[in-house]
Amino acid sequence: MSNEAILHANMGSAHATHDDHHEHHQETFITKYIFSQDHKTISKQFLITGMVWAVIGGLMSVLFRFQLGFPDDSLPWLEDLLGKWWAAGGHITAQGYYALVTIHGTVLVFFVLTAGLSGTFANLLIPLQIGARDMASPLLNMLSYWFFFIAGIVMLSSIFVETGPFSGGWTAYPPLSALGDTSPGSKTGMDLWIISMALFVVSSLLSGLNYIATVLNMRTKGMSMTRLPLTIWALFFTAVVGVLSFPVLLSGFILLIFDRNFGTSFYLSDIFLSATGTALPNEGGSAILFQHLFWFLGHPEVYIIILPAMGIVSEILSINSRKPIFGYIAMVGSMFAITALSFIVWAHHMFVTGLNPFLGSIFTLFTLLIALPSAIKVFNWLTTLWRGSIRFTPAMLFAIGFVSVFISGGLTGLWLGNSALDIHLHDTYFNIAHFHLVMGVASILAMFAGVYHWFPKMYGRRMNVTLGYIHFWITIIGAYLIFWPMHYEGLAGMPRRYYDYSIWESFKQFSDLNKFISIVVFITFSTQILFLINFFYSIWNGRKETSENPHGATTLEWTTPINPGHGNWVGEIPEVHRWAYDYSKDGKDFIMQTTPIGADEKEEKH
Amino acid sequence: MEYTTQSHGDYAAIKKEIWKVTLILSVLTVIELMLGFWMYLKPEMNHSFKLALKGTIIILMLAKSFYIVAYFMHLKHEIKNMIMTIIVPLTLFIWFIIAFLYDGKSYNNLKNNYDRHYQEQTKVKATKAEHQHNAAPTTEAAPAATH
Amino acid sequence: MSTAISAQTKWWGGGKSPFNVEYGKLMMWYFLMSDSFTFGAFLIAYGTARFSANSWPDPNEVFNTFPFAPEGMHAPLVFVSIMTFILILSSVTMVLAVQAGHHNNKQGVIKNLIYTIIGGFAFLGCQAWEWTHLFHEGAWWGSNPFLNADGTQGTVNFTNFFFTITGFHGFHVFTGVIINIIMLIMALNNTFEKRGHYLMIEKAGLYWHFVDLVWVFVFTCFYLI
Repeated sequence: MSNEAILHANMGSAHATHDDHHEHHQETFITKYIFSQDHKTISKQFLITGMVWAVIGGLMSVLFRFQLGFPDDSLPWLEDLLGKWWAAGGHITAQGYYALVTIHGTVLVFFVLTAGLSGTFANLLIPLQIGARDMASPLLNMLSYWFFFIAGIVMLSSIFVETGPFSGGWTAYPPLSALGDTSPGSKTGMDLWIISMALFVVSSLLSGLNYIATVLNMRTKGMSMTRLPLTIWALFFTAVVGVLSFPVLLSGFILLIFDRNFGTSFYLSDIFLSATGTALPNEGGSAILFQHLFWFLGHPEVYIIILPAMGIVSEILSINSRKPIFGYIAMVGSMFAITALSFIVWAHHMFVTGLNPFLGSIFTLFTLLIALPSAIKVFNWLTTLWRGSIRFTPAMLFAIGFVSVFISGGLTGLWLGNSALDIHLHDTYFNIAHFHLVMGVASILAMFAGVYHWFPKMYGRRMNVTLGYIHFWITIIGAYLIFWPMHYEGLAGMPRRYYDYSIWESFKQFSDLNKFISIVVFITFSTQILFLINFFYSIWNGRKETSENPHGATTLEWTTPINPGHGNWVGEIPEVHRWAYDYSKDGKDFIMQTTPIGADEKEEKH
Repeated sequence: MEYTTQSHGDYAAIKKEIWKVTLILSVLTVIELMLGFWMYLKPEMNHSFKLALKGTIIILMLAKSFYIVAYFMHLKHEIKNMIMTIIVPLTLFIWFIIAFLYDGKSYNNLKNNYDRHYQEQTKVKATKAEHQHNAAPTTEAAPAATH
Repeated sequence: MSTAISAQTKWWGGGKSPFNVEYGKLMMWYFLMSDSFTFGAFLIAYGTARFSANSWPDPNEVFNTFPFAPEGMHAPLVFVSIMTFILILSSVTMVLAVQAGHHNNKQGVIKNLIYTIIGGFAFLGCQAWEWTHLFHEGAWWGSNPFLNADGTQGTVNFTNFFFTITGFHGFHVFTGVIINIIMLIMALNNTFEKRGHYLMIEKAGLYWHFVDLVWVFVFTCFYLI
């Protein structure tokens, strides 16, 4: 039996639907738009679901910023809108505040920046850029989305239960997450939270395995690993990180479920619960064990968030500078280094938990090592821009914005990764500023860049450029104005997750600053609505794309029809003859990957 | 391009290999059990010698898992690159194990040094309680340790 | 069928699988790698709990009997050795089923799959008996009647981890048996004959061996050391 025969047998479903495509009556609305197995439709589903969650998570931050900036003011209509539990008398209540902070974190980290980012772009780009008709298993791909969708529904429903959603922070440390009596949100809210997260782990495993198998097995003829665009490398490493780290979180959660429901004490020991006035029998557990298990996922998770962003940005910077990416192999190597290092640094989140100081010093060393591959990447991006003929499209601006934010957020990582400095900075606004810039804002900017850049491929239309510029400038200036001042608050010792700073003598001085930050949050959030309007208006009414290759890019997705059907290419899948970055070469603006190497041409060796 | 399955070589030879591996696995298990019985029958044995025996058991365990993965799961006959993609990520376990266990031990030292109550209570001898299903674990004759 | 894998083959050049395997097998392997991190995390958590306790129960005092054993008999490791051998043998029959599949030998596949399923049920039966026995001794999640090796009050995390991890492993065995039964039904219905290959048996086999592999670790960590 031939290898090809087996490989193609797996493609059976894609082929079949591809053939069906010629007889339109076979595809119903449901198979085409809802339970679709087409990777492009699944990608759009991930994107739009991610957007819904981004709006919910963002609105939550607006609400708690209202509390932080204006602790003495009240908006009576807030109570009518949200109810007494959240906003009694127009004030965000303490329990509401903690619930908002927790769900904001969970939703943004997992639903928006993990599923929304890599779910969208891995599904869209992997088959299109490696030259495959679909994912290795379109069925599992579809299931992956629906597990994510159900996880979202469960999380959403937890917001409406009587005792409120989980409110012990997105890291769900026990005992708040393990004992129902410790806080209102630790009851049904936590049950739903943990169910939702378990479903999410299943979703991310299904998609991760699929991405890995697809990238390894389904590349078209001539597409060797070193000819892959960096987006694919990035998404591949992302999938590897997810497949190896999410199961550890699952184990941690299973132990947590037992602690919650079956009277075990994996994470509990010596607890007197003042809420009920009882001493608990739990003996011998350790809450630090949960933190170890959680951060064994939690740290790789931030790379799951940032790696796809890095890939997208590398691609967009190169295309819009009309220059080959600088140091392709160094880019791949540094991504590999980041992948490997991401698994051995987790305890730098735990320096102040009583972690053994000697162990802490080794974790510090490993952590600071990550600066090397990160710096390599940053310098390569800058050198890619250097002397390029830059086209400042909205996508390009967002990509450059990513580099800027990644630098300014990344440098503070060196402070926090140092176990001695971390004693002062841990759990302060310095930390908030650091991870929001380097991980949150950076990845969101890259996601915007990707959406603006690949919108023509997704919908066959263009987004409005002027709105894109307005969106970019307000977002980037807003992001800096929001998070930059937080560094100073954090250095002054202002802790995170406090409900009201105005009652603290030491932090009163920041009340005007907090007000300023909150106002900027309101403005920046409103600007995102501009993006949503632009996005949804353009899907139906944007300027129609007329060119198959609007950006003058070299990669395979631009060899497909403007609105590709299921199966992507009409006829044969093109063969690849060169790497993905032949820009401004031999007097040509760009050379497609499908163009054979000319007789007197030298192939780019890297 | 033919798809090369593991069926190169004849059926009889493969069966022979399977039974050979079965024998090896059985022998390794029996050795493990013998070491286990040795530790059980000689409770007075030297502590570091006991640790050495446990180390030997762990090595035997790894040998067994090698035979299962290499022959039963057939990894040995796959292309070398594929073997590497599976073995290399598993090396993460080295630091995973070291860091967790080291910090576990460190936590124990912290408790013994700074939690008098814990330190005293874990020295109290107890008697085996019979059939106590809904009762919380009780420590008999625990001195009312005051902090 | 015997194609020499030539050194000149451009495995990574695209258009073919670099590992010469179909995607399903690749996904199964990486799923198992992922699952090994689930079990790894459990066992490492168990180790961490054990390292942070001053003393721990001696497994030989806990698991010291077998069904129909005479009253008062002290026989550690006997019953668990039987369980271990059951699982090893069922793994062997699974390999034989996979090999029979490679030779399109339907009868061999069916015969060996039935043996494997019997082995799986036997193992689950043994585990059910052991759990019941321990339960009657007073052990369960949240309660540990056994004393530590040094005679102090037994740490309750011993039984917590024991039931959680062997339970999770037993759940995997159960899923494996279900998968094998599905394979058996498909083989009986000539699904694989029509397909022309028995590659799906191979994937089920990988899963089953993994279950055996995990037991090697669970066996060592809980019963021996």
